[in-house]
Amino acid sequence: MSDERRITSEELALYAMQLLSKEEMAELAAAVAQSEEARRELAEIQGDLAAYAVTADMHTPPAVTRERLLKQVARERKAIPIDLPAMGEIRTAEQETRERGGSVLSESAVGPSAGESEAYYRSAREVGSRDYLEEETKAPRGMVGKVLPWIGWAVAAGLAVVTGNLYHQRDDMRSAAATQASQLDHLTADAAAAREVLDTMTDNSAMRVTLTTKGATPPQPTGRATYVASKGALIFLASNLVALEPAKTYELWLIPAGEGQNPIPAGMFRPDARGNASVIMPRLPKGVEAKAFGVTVEAEGGSATPTMPIVLVGE
Amino acid sequence: MFREMGLVNSPTPSGQDDATLLALVERGDEFAMAALFDRYSKIVYSVALRVLRDPASAEDVLQEVFMQIWRSPERFVASRGSLGGWLAVVTRNRSIDLLRRKKPSEPVDDMVMASNYNLANEAERNSLMEKAKAVIVQLPMEQRKTLEMAFFDGLTHSEIAEMTGDPLGTVKTRIRSALSSLRKALTV
Repeated sequence: MSDERRITSEELALYAMQLLSKEEMAELAAAVAQSEEARRELAEIQGDLAAYAVTADMHTPPAVTRERLLKQVARERKAIPIDLPAMGEIRTAEQETRERGGSVLSESAVGPSAGESEAYYRSAREVGSRDYLEEETKAPRGMVGKVLPWIGWAVAAGLAVVTGNLYHQRDDMRSAAATQASQLDHLTADAAAAREVLDTMTDNSAMRVTLTTKGATPPQPTGRATYVASKGALIFLASNLVALEPAKTYELWLIPAGEGQNPIPAGMFRPDARGNASVIMPRLPKGVEAKAFGVTVEAEGGSATPTMPIVLVGE
Repeated sequence: MFREMGLVNSPTPSGQDDATLLALVERGDEFAMAALFDRYSKIVYSVALRVLRDPASAEDVLQEVFMQIWRSPERFVASRGSLGGWLAVVTRNRSIDLLRRKKPSEPVDDMVMASNYNLANEAERNSLMEKAKAVIVQLPMEQRKTLEMAFFDGLTHSEIAEMTGDPLGTVKTRIRSALSSLRKALTV
């Protein structure tokens, strides 16, 4: 280990578990980078941690997670690179063509025979190169001439930086998109489950049974309100309600806590043939604390204020 | 494509070793990815669940860790240790990050692991789990609790010291001693 910074095994264990402060992590990372012995010990500790990790009680993930992963994998399907043949292979193919008596366009146009082609190509390259070099030596190299190549390099470097940034941005965005897609899957599943609960509660064909002690007196009309004031969320379930005349309706009222506040209409309902009814999430203002809930009988269409008597009440 | 059509009679991905599967994943083989998931999802999910104690969050980490393999299989280098062990530690780190609501603090490919455990083999995996559990159960209670608080709960040594009332040095020593005991017992 380094003479300047002696790293203890205790510190390495905390470092491996990422339990040190940002500054300590950076300091230790630098020290580890300097010490072969520390790196070896750190690797051993990571191995110990892996062994310790599997002491967690094993649980099989829900089957849906596999499906979810494979869907995501399919969404991010990779473009498999096509293996290009090496230049040597291309040349061999050309040679084969020639050997079979075929011709390559440039050869037949310019004229060298198959056996001369190699020399011809080499000669053509050399001529071109020489011309280029001669032109270069002849060209006056003023200030612009000296600066111009550097501009090219600068532009290339700039492009490299920009490309690098774009690559990282693309990577980040892809990762963010994947995370969001995964969250969306979850939300969709949650919404479906919530929808199912709601459908069950509001289904007209659902069987609703109120359980009482055997032999007790016939059950009385009852209502159960579940209310979250901060969200303005209310679920009301009633049973054993008396049937109403056709032009009448039951109306639920939220009676706010505090003096001088008028009851707030919280939905109308009519019981089914078995006396059951429900009001699920009526439109209510948020943050209204309730003192009580009441049910009245109103004319069809409801009322702005409750009509006495209150047939059901609960505080 | 040919395998999808059943025209290639190659060994099934599930029978291949980790390095081969990773190479296939690098080439975009979704069957290989499924095989890796089948092999290691239980470990990854269990570690995440142990840390986060919430199935939905553990599922998210499971998805994230395996998608990381799909996107960058080259990040795991075989010479850095066993894939199963690497996944277990990466999962723990990612779960702790999530617990602390912070971004991943360390590029995962920075981790080198000296580990000879072949978690790809189910029998060996089960044997290691049993052995490791047996060692942990036999540790002194303070060591066991301290390591658990550090590794699975992600508490810093200062936080552990504050909660237990033990000096910082004692907390550090307990963590180290617990890991040493585990190593010794498993290498015998």
